[in-house]
Amino acid sequence: MTRNARRNRGILRYWMVLGVLMTAFASLAMRAVYLQTLSSNYLQRQGDARYLRTVTDNAHRGMILDRNGEPFAVSTPVESVWAHPATFAEVRREWRPLLTLLGLNATEVARQLRKHTGREFMYLKRHIPPDIAERVTALNIPGVYLQREYRRYYPTGAVSGHVIGFTDIDDQGQEGLELTYNDRLRATQGTRRVLKDLHGNIVETVEIVSLPVPGRDLVISIDKRIQYLTYRELKSAMQRYGAHAATAVVLDAQSGEVLALVNQPAFNPNNRTNLRSTLFRNRAVTDVFEPGSTMKPFTIAVALESGLFGYDSKIDTTPGRFQVGSKIIHDARNYGLLSLGQVIEKSSNVGAARIAMALDKERMWSMFRNVGFGETTGSQLPAESAGLLNLPSRWVPMDQAHVAFGYGISVTALQLARAYTALANDGVVMPLTLLRRDHAVHGLRVMSAVTARHIRDMLELAVSEAGTGTEAQVQHYRVAGKTGTVHKLVAGDYAEDRYIASFAGMAPASRPRLVMVVTMDEPSEGAHFGGQVAAPVFSGVMSGALRLLNVPPDTPTERFQWAAPADGRSPT
Amino acid sequence: MTQSAAVIADKRRIAGTPRPRWDPWLLGCVAALVGLGLVMVYSASVSSAERTFDNGFYYFARQLGSVVVGSILMYLVMHTPLRLWERTGPYLLLLGLMLLVLVLVPGIGVNVNGSSRWIRLGIVNLQPSELIKLFLVVYVAGYFVRKQEELQNFTHGIAIIGLVLMAAGILLLQEPDLGAVVVITTTVLGMLFLAGVRLWHFGVMTLTGAGVVALLTVLAPYRLQRVVAFLDPWADPFNTGFQLVQALIAFGRGEWVGVGLGASVQKLYYLPAAHTDFLFAVTAEELGLLGVLSVMMLFAVLVARGFTISRRAQDAGLLYAARLAQGIALLLGVQAAISMGVNMGVLPTKGLTLPFMSYGGSSMLVNLMSMGLLLLIERETRKDAWGVH
Repeated sequence: MTRNARRNRGILRYWMVLGVLMTAFASLAMRAVYLQTLSSNYLQRQGDARYLRTVTDNAHRGMILDRNGEPFAVSTPVESVWAHPATFAEVRREWRPLLTLLGLNATEVARQLRKHTGREFMYLKRHIPPDIAERVTALNIPGVYLQREYRRYYPTGAVSGHVIGFTDIDDQGQEGLELTYNDRLRATQGTRRVLKDLHGNIVETVEIVSLPVPGRDLVISIDKRIQYLTYRELKSAMQRYGAHAATAVVLDAQSGEVLALVNQPAFNPNNRTNLRSTLFRNRAVTDVFEPGSTMKPFTIAVALESGLFGYDSKIDTTPGRFQVGSKIIHDARNYGLLSLGQVIEKSSNVGAARIAMALDKERMWSMFRNVGFGETTGSQLPAESAGLLNLPSRWVPMDQAHVAFGYGISVTALQLARAYTALANDGVVMPLTLLRRDHAVHGLRVMSAVTARHIRDMLELAVSEAGTGTEAQVQHYRVAGKTGTVHKLVAGDYAEDRYIASFAGMAPASRPRLVMVVTMDEPSEGAHFGGQVAAPVFSGVMSGALRLLNVPPDTPTERFQWAAPADGRSPT
Repeated sequence: MTQSAAVIADKRRIAGTPRPRWDPWLLGCVAALVGLGLVMVYSASVSSAERTFDNGFYYFARQLGSVVVGSILMYLVMHTPLRLWERTGPYLLLLGLMLLVLVLVPGIGVNVNGSSRWIRLGIVNLQPSELIKLFLVVYVAGYFVRKQEELQNFTHGIAIIGLVLMAAGILLLQEPDLGAVVVITTTVLGMLFLAGVRLWHFGVMTLTGAGVVALLTVLAPYRLQRVVAFLDPWADPFNTGFQLVQALIAFGRGEWVGVGLGASVQKLYYLPAAHTDFLFAVTAEELGLLGVLSVMMLFAVLVARGFTISRRAQDAGLLYAARLAQGIALLLGVQAAISMGVNMGVLPTKGLTLPFMSYGGSSMLVNLMSMGLLLLIERETRKDAWGVH
């Protein structure tokens, strides 16, 4: 091989090697062009899937205000501490001060971390006060972040617990009006699309999808002052008589607005730890009872409307017993001959039953139905019961006689109060609401104005010195109302010594403004009659509420004592 | 006017006035790559450095130190006689092999993520696998010159090279550092080919080398896994294919001109080894195709320039200088091409740095010293050709 040939071969190999290297670089360049232009869309989507995240921003829930703008429920900003599990797990050595600050247990946190493996979000502690939040930030632990949330506070506490209800930790209504009007009150979270690094830090906001929208305020019909008054009176009465539970409802007779709604025992919605959930039950709408004698005015109304009975008609209740079917109906004693008004005044079961037996059961049923028994009141409160009103076709004579004085029918306190608005409102029953009414609404006429006034007159007799509800009297105002005392139904039978005492009434009787129903479940200390345990609550609340509402007195002060009705008719 | 000036310049050159002292192509390309590398190392590491060391400049400062020390070494190398390297080649090889043994000694070698690649020297770590690359090339170039005639003989000429390569390879695999093995094997094979060994000798060596690498891959489960992941990274994008998928996403996000310096998202912990082995991916994301092609162009110019220098040396009759220049150009080109190929998913994942750019002290020192040698060769070649001292 000549030197020249080898030299030529050397040059060939030189260009071959250089060519291979340059080809390699050229191929790499083409690969780069392919990756960065042709498949960049696909690769970017893959990237977005890895670090584009949607985060939410919270806004505050709407306030709940009473009819005069006083707050019942307000939201305040708090911070919640959350962790990016993978990052937080890496810095176990830095945990101690944080866990001490938040009062957390390391074992429990570690267990939670295992449960959230592979996730990107884990709450460490929710709703901490601002000063603690500041100290958490100062610790500067990797993977630990704060999130703005809102906590609900109820300034009136237990006073309005049942009617207002409460929200859960996620700011969603769970009970009461908070639940009913959750859609209106709740805030709409805002969402943002952000770039996050592998440790969960937000690098930048890419896009604001929607801004957070605070919830709308809710103005309700409750009057905080009357609510408070009712709460106080009911609570002390329940303690005094050792009752198991108690309920009181105050309505605006003319508008159908609920001005106060209280149940006992109450609960404080601000601190619900260790509370049994049965305590949250809003008895005024969920619990039904047999109304007993408070039902009698409606029986009398049917009688008057039927034309078979007049205001002065007399009923013979002798001998204080009345047999219908297999059952015997008793009065406390033999009242003899009674007018319709006296049937109410003396609360004669025999009288009511005798009247009922003379009436058409269909007409009785439609009166009861029209005043709202057997259907919900329209209050929209959660878990409201419709009560029980059997169809007349299923009534045997005994049922017809019993329903006349409030047995064999179940009502809620709110239903009973609503029915009494028919009597208070000259025969027009009003649709109920828990929202403030700014415009008058049309009610349903269920009886003539004359009938309603007659019955109001009779109900005034019932709280007169001669009646059963004397303790319902209010100074300077005329009062109309009816007591009720029923044996409690226990396991399908009437318990001998357990009662539900109630009082339903209205004031001022000349032109009623307020209707109120009070029930006491199993009063055990000293007294158990509606006139003894429920009527005083009515009196206590009414004397305050009527003055608060500036309702003019309808009894001349110098004549304060029981007087004949202003229209001159005298009871017989 | 312009024409006459050029003529004058030409005349002056003929008259023996010195040209620019050092080759501007090499210096320019290296300076550009090192400068861009520093910027990218800072950009890629600032978040993780802040997180780990509370100092965003941690990696940048160390890399800057390496560049300073490397430049000094380069300067020193440029002022040595080339003959010194030719003579000391065998000793440098021995030193390199000794260091490769030392790094395997527990207590001397630092074990990071299951591989012992570093010898701790105070605040800096020495990576013998980087040194052996240069020392082997220096040695092999000298061997070719000394045994010029025996290269045609397999047993005497080529087997020795094979044995040396095997020794270095076996030691490197103990760390393990397969990437370095692939780089030095490819480089030495290229040098053999250029040195004019018989084709069938070259073929035997190439097949043996390829066979060994294939065998090593099949035998080590983690390597096989990497190859499988490389073939289809999207099959398991959150585990075995994770790194490659993240690198590819970085390229895709870069598009034409990139997302802008400092704006990379992939470097925010998504892309492991963002400032070392996958710096090129971060560059691709922040500077786009424009940056990628620029870097490639710089490397291509460096390699081509190395080859040109080698040819000039050969023409000038400086055989050692020619072989060494080829070796250095090959070493640089192979390492750069493999590193970029790994970043773009055309080669299986290996721990390889991008010369002059990736974070890593030893790599920077060795690469700058290599450039010093190349500049030295160019200068000596020119001195001979033009008679300038």
